[in-house]
Amino acid sequence: MRKQWLNSGLPVLAVAAFAASAALAQTVDTSRIEAAGQNDWLTYHGSYKSHHYSPLAQINASNVGNLGVAWMHIPGRSTRGLQSMPLVADGVLYYTGSYSRVFALNGATGEVLWSFFPELDEALISRQTHSPYNRGVALGEGKVFVGTMDGRLFGLDAKTGKVLWETRLIDSQKLTVGFTGAPLYAKGSVIIGAQGGEWPGRGPIFAVDASTGKKKWEFLTVAGTDEAMKTWGNESWRTGGGGGWMPGTYDSETNTILWGTANPAPLYDWSGADYKTQGARPGDNLYTSSVIGLDIDTGKLKFYHQELPHDAWDFDSAVGEFVMLERDGQKYVVHPNKGGFVFVYDRNLGVKNVWRLVENINFVKDIDPKTGALIGRRDFSAGKVTEPPLCPFIGGGVSWNSGSYNPKTGLYYKIGQEWCMTLDVQKTTPVTTPQVQLNIGADFKMAPPPGGEIYGHLDARDPITGAKKWEVRYPEPPLGSVLSTAGNLVFVPDSRGVLHAYDAETGAELWKHNNGTGHQGGIVSYSVGGKQYIAVTAGFGGMLADEYAPNFGGVYKSMPRDDGALVVFSLK
Amino acid sequence: MRLPFKTIPAGLGASLLWTAMAQAQSATPAPENATFEVEQVFAGTCGFCHSDGGRAPGKGPQLMNSPRDDDFIRSRIKHGKQGAMPAFEGAFTDAQIDQVIKYIRALKPRDG
Repeated sequence: MRKQWLNSGLPVLAVAAFAASAALAQTVDTSRIEAAGQNDWLTYHGSYKSHHYSPLAQINASNVGNLGVAWMHIPGRSTRGLQSMPLVADGVLYYTGSYSRVFALNGATGEVLWSFFPELDEALISRQTHSPYNRGVALGEGKVFVGTMDGRLFGLDAKTGKVLWETRLIDSQKLTVGFTGAPLYAKGSVIIGAQGGEWPGRGPIFAVDASTGKKKWEFLTVAGTDEAMKTWGNESWRTGGGGGWMPGTYDSETNTILWGTANPAPLYDWSGADYKTQGARPGDNLYTSSVIGLDIDTGKLKFYHQELPHDAWDFDSAVGEFVMLERDGQKYVVHPNKGGFVFVYDRNLGVKNVWRLVENINFVKDIDPKTGALIGRRDFSAGKVTEPPLCPFIGGGVSWNSGSYNPKTGLYYKIGQEWCMTLDVQKTTPVTTPQVQLNIGADFKMAPPPGGEIYGHLDARDPITGAKKWEVRYPEPPLGSVLSTAGNLVFVPDSRGVLHAYDAETGAELWKHNNGTGHQGGIVSYSVGGKQYIAVTAGFGGMLADEYAPNFGGVYKSMPRDDGALVVFSLK
Repeated sequence: MRLPFKTIPAGLGASLLWTAMAQAQSATPAPENATFEVEQVFAGTCGFCHSDGGRAPGKGPQLMNSPRDDDFIRSRIKHGKQGAMPAFEGAFTDAQIDQVIKYIRALKPRDG
């Protein structure tokens, strides 16, 4: 057969196949994301329930040994590896690489349907620290939405990749920060939060009209209300940090966006115990290190819980998981905090329980499981902190990637990280205007837990009580997301580059495959033409991964930090 | 150990960075008679990657006893390294970068 090519460069057959698929496609909308059809992965957290779970069972505990690579895609220019969560709708897989490169691929073959490489302000990006990685897209109303490090949000045509609208939301020249997290689509809006934390700004979260790209509202996570303004002494709110750099979720029952917020700046305060009146940012510093509920239509704050009042340790709440589940007629939302505790809320973010995922925690003695109040805070004055070191390490007891809740087993599978740090807190002069770089406030170094070694672990826990059913340990903490499936499987992409499949009930390892480089991004499952696939991003490097070579050596010494691939598996 | 450098312009610590950037963009002469607290600047910005105040490797390399010469370090601070280190040209003046280099050259292991 003589090949015929269209202008797009796609073979006719591929286009025809895609067109057939698209003809069967329904628009991705709020109700479809809510329903979470088994063949798709329509939003960052799988569905608004944030389960990171696939009801597909073609690949299962009895045949996973036959899993093999179906196809791969190399995005190129993978500076700081690959960190995105692929999405899949109607047989098309969408994902991003560094520099907000977007790819639409045939989910069965990997064939490129279109790509979008935004023209970015490279001079600005060269000044950024937490850059140039990207953590994914959102889908809705026939569009693909992606944020950029230079402060813009794009709406692309899902069929062609053409830019339908482009909206500048942040003056990144002034604030340095932009967007690395995936947006969330819900109810005609695209929600995206800015980077923040250690950057002196006010950490905005935006809603944009999905049809037009017009900004609907903006909520400032630093002093976004009159009440919050009072919790920042000496006008420290002007440079308070905050942000909401990972996507949260949408609760249609309450018409609310649930979002986790980042830490205040400077990360480490020299206030000592008198943090309400002393230090770099006197007060509780609302709404940093908090979970917040915003009305999706107006952006007004409806309710919140500040997980760490006056966070002095950089153990923020920016983790985007809001795992929604029901038990005994009660509706719960489960949210892990970077400090290593897991908070259980009702749908209005009222505290129902708090449990420990991580063993090595000493920034507080405990957190009251009934109220969420911190017990025995460890507030530092200027000077060295070594005995004992602060636990966990700045990388957190959990990282920003997601765990998985499996409704069939009733278990929550989540990575815990056991590591600590010494630090030397500096008495800093207050920062009063936005600046071009970080505001950390201490020198620090990774250290092992007192009397132990650094390690990571996958736990299978009851999400409400925290009761542990089983655990798998790793010599270095895994940094990627976790996937569980109805096939009685849990997949963990680890830092050394090995993708593991475990029995979801017992934790027994059933299969593994070396992808050749470390993982620190997403993993999903989907189905095309009756065939189930597992897709995972591989590619190491970035704010936490860069610590692995000097601290752990071994395979990390030669592991590239500018490379990556999307690897897709199916049964042989 | 503290290293006050009275010869360096602008306000303290991080607020200096913003001032410095504005200066770089507008070519406005820097104010005199202020102090550049290089330890604060290091802990505010550089120490995020260069662990233990530059004494140990972290996300970035160890700086204490660096085999690199001053010109290399000056150029790296100014221009950064793609995907590894931000460019601080515009954030720090040349004189401030010199003070950071002095800080690096003065680094000693911590007591004990």
